[in-house]
Amino acid sequence: MSAPSGGGGGGGGAGHGGAGGEVGSSPFAPSSLPPPRPKSPPEYPDLYGKRREAARVQMLEREIGFLEGEIKFVEGVQPASRCCKEVSDFVVANSDPMIPAQRKSRRSCRFWKWLCGPCFSMVSFCCCCQSKCSCHLKKPKCCSCTSCSCIGSKCCDGSCSSSICCCPRPSCPGCPSCSCFRGCCCSCPDLSCCIPKCFRSCSCARPSCLSKKKSSCCNCNCKIRWSSCFRCPKVRLCSCCFCNCKNLCSNPCCLAF
Amino acid sequence: MSVSDLKERHAVATETVNNLRDRLRQRRLQLLDTDVARYSAAQGRTPVSFGATDLVCCRTLQGHTGKVYSLDWTSERNRIVSASQDGRLIVWNALTSQKTHAIKLPCAWVMTCAFSPNGQSVACGGLDSVCSIFSLSSTADKDGTVPVSRMLSGHKGYVSCCQYVPNEDAHLITSSGDQTCILWDVTTGLKTSVFGGEFQSGHTADVLSVSISGSNPNSFISGSCDSTARLWDSRAASRAVRTFHGHEGDVNTVKFFPDGNRFGTGSDDGTCRLYDIRTGHQLQVYQPHGDGENVPVTSIAFSVSGRLLFAGYASNNTCYVWDTLLGEVVLDLGLQQDSHKNRISCLGLSADGSALCTGSWDSNLKIWAFGGHRRVI
Repeated sequence: MSAPSGGGGGGGGAGHGGAGGEVGSSPFAPSSLPPPRPKSPPEYPDLYGKRREAARVQMLEREIGFLEGEIKFVEGVQPASRCCKEVSDFVVANSDPMIPAQRKSRRSCRFWKWLCGPCFSMVSFCCCCQSKCSCHLKKPKCCSCTSCSCIGSKCCDGSCSSSICCCPRPSCPGCPSCSCFRGCCCSCPDLSCCIPKCFRSCSCARPSCLSKKKSSCCNCNCKIRWSSCFRCPKVRLCSCCFCNCKNLCSNPCCLAF
Repeated sequence: MSVSDLKERHAVATETVNNLRDRLRQRRLQLLDTDVARYSAAQGRTPVSFGATDLVCCRTLQGHTGKVYSLDWTSERNRIVSASQDGRLIVWNALTSQKTHAIKLPCAWVMTCAFSPNGQSVACGGLDSVCSIFSLSSTADKDGTVPVSRMLSGHKGYVSCCQYVPNEDAHLITSSGDQTCILWDVTTGLKTSVFGGEFQSGHTADVLSVSISGSNPNSFISGSCDSTARLWDSRAASRAVRTFHGHEGDVNTVKFFPDGNRFGTGSDDGTCRLYDIRTGHQLQVYQPHGDGENVPVTSIAFSVSGRLLFAGYASNNTCYVWDTLLGEVVLDLGLQQDSHKNRISCLGLSADGSALCTGSWDSNLKIWAFGGHRRVI
């Protein structure tokens, strides 16, 4: 009689729970077969993550195409002055039921009006900054901002004598008082200047990020949402919109409403 | 391609995008040789000047019991629909101040409302993520409940704004907290097009406002929490025609300029801006003077000539009237007699441009019109 096949030996091995152990003592196990070793599950590719990443790359490459097209487009675009002329011509050409009739210029101002031409000369600067020049002449915001090199800057109001640009303040001057509306340093001119320590001095009546130790003014994830709750508009910067779906009488959104 | 290769490509592409955006910004700055205010001042434009009784509140519409969030005029016959936190839409006769309809909404958290072009239906939307259409010819029960004639479902976030396509009662555009805008076919209740969304070139944050061009109804503008406004062609939803940068905060409201080639915006950064849709230029910034904190702009409207820009702000009852050509505030409706007692959340001009309606958190609407003398030349 021949010895049983490996299946019989396998059955004995299965009784041992596939622990990959003990075979050698069985009289039926063929000595030439290696001991069973359990395999680790095969590594499945992270298709979802890979596809998502590929989609993001595709979006960016598409955006590159759009931007290159936009740059080419801008090369042939007319300057803003032509658009300003179109706006001005349109407005002047159309009557408006909301606008009162023009008033006559006062005689005394005609001299100033003649003298105060386009505001790019010292003479016109002097004129433009005179408080007496009240008839139809108002001090412009600034006489010239062409020398401003700060991106997004403008000339300081009341500083026509200076061509120094008001660049955005580099740092927050401090947060002496915090507004609870956003649970952050709302008195700071630039919200990116908010620093976490300002936040702790706020006390909001509604649930907020105060209990979270690692909260910062600009990075807060304490939005509480249930699947049947509303996603609240303009929820940002540490403000938590507390959705209470059980009580329909309460306002689900603490911010805009 | 492995995930690590993709990540590397992602990093390279991101850097390229940032460089190109910077180049585009620099090139646009070079083309900004002037703005509307400097140009108009150089042309010697006469400033607009209002006397104390030139723009007056001639009607106060009382009836809501909660904050008013949205209003819209009909294109004729001087009716207004308003939406309020009290969960009702009210339709008013603006001349007589009478309420013709008071519709109790299935979802009280309404954010927007709009009249259909024929004035026979109203649409509204809000935190329920649905745009609901009501026919004004339907009979209401004693509670004021009017059956919904159509529900436009499909947004995955709140509906922030809705507007009918001019002269088309069957089409409506909504904006949403799900970062998209949708063009709807009202007769079927189905989406015609979706603008933006995941993996499409569109807004990257909540969309808060839309405005459709009166002269070219295929064009509309959207404003978003991503600080941009975008121009769309409703026939090509795959990507925005142009993106307008400049604001430093949420763009809460957008409105086309009367000539159809420009539009205005209002933002959390406290400024209103005027952009040109054909060139993409930012033509003017309307920024109030003062050192205080920037007060968000909640709503804007242009007068029919475009000379005046009405802007409601999120503080007290401030509503500035800007001279759009000279870039100066010429009036604050909040300082006028009989002004609102709280923030102005919405405003709109009548079809003939002779009256402005403002809605406020004080639960009232007010109608403002020219009350001074006009000399015929």
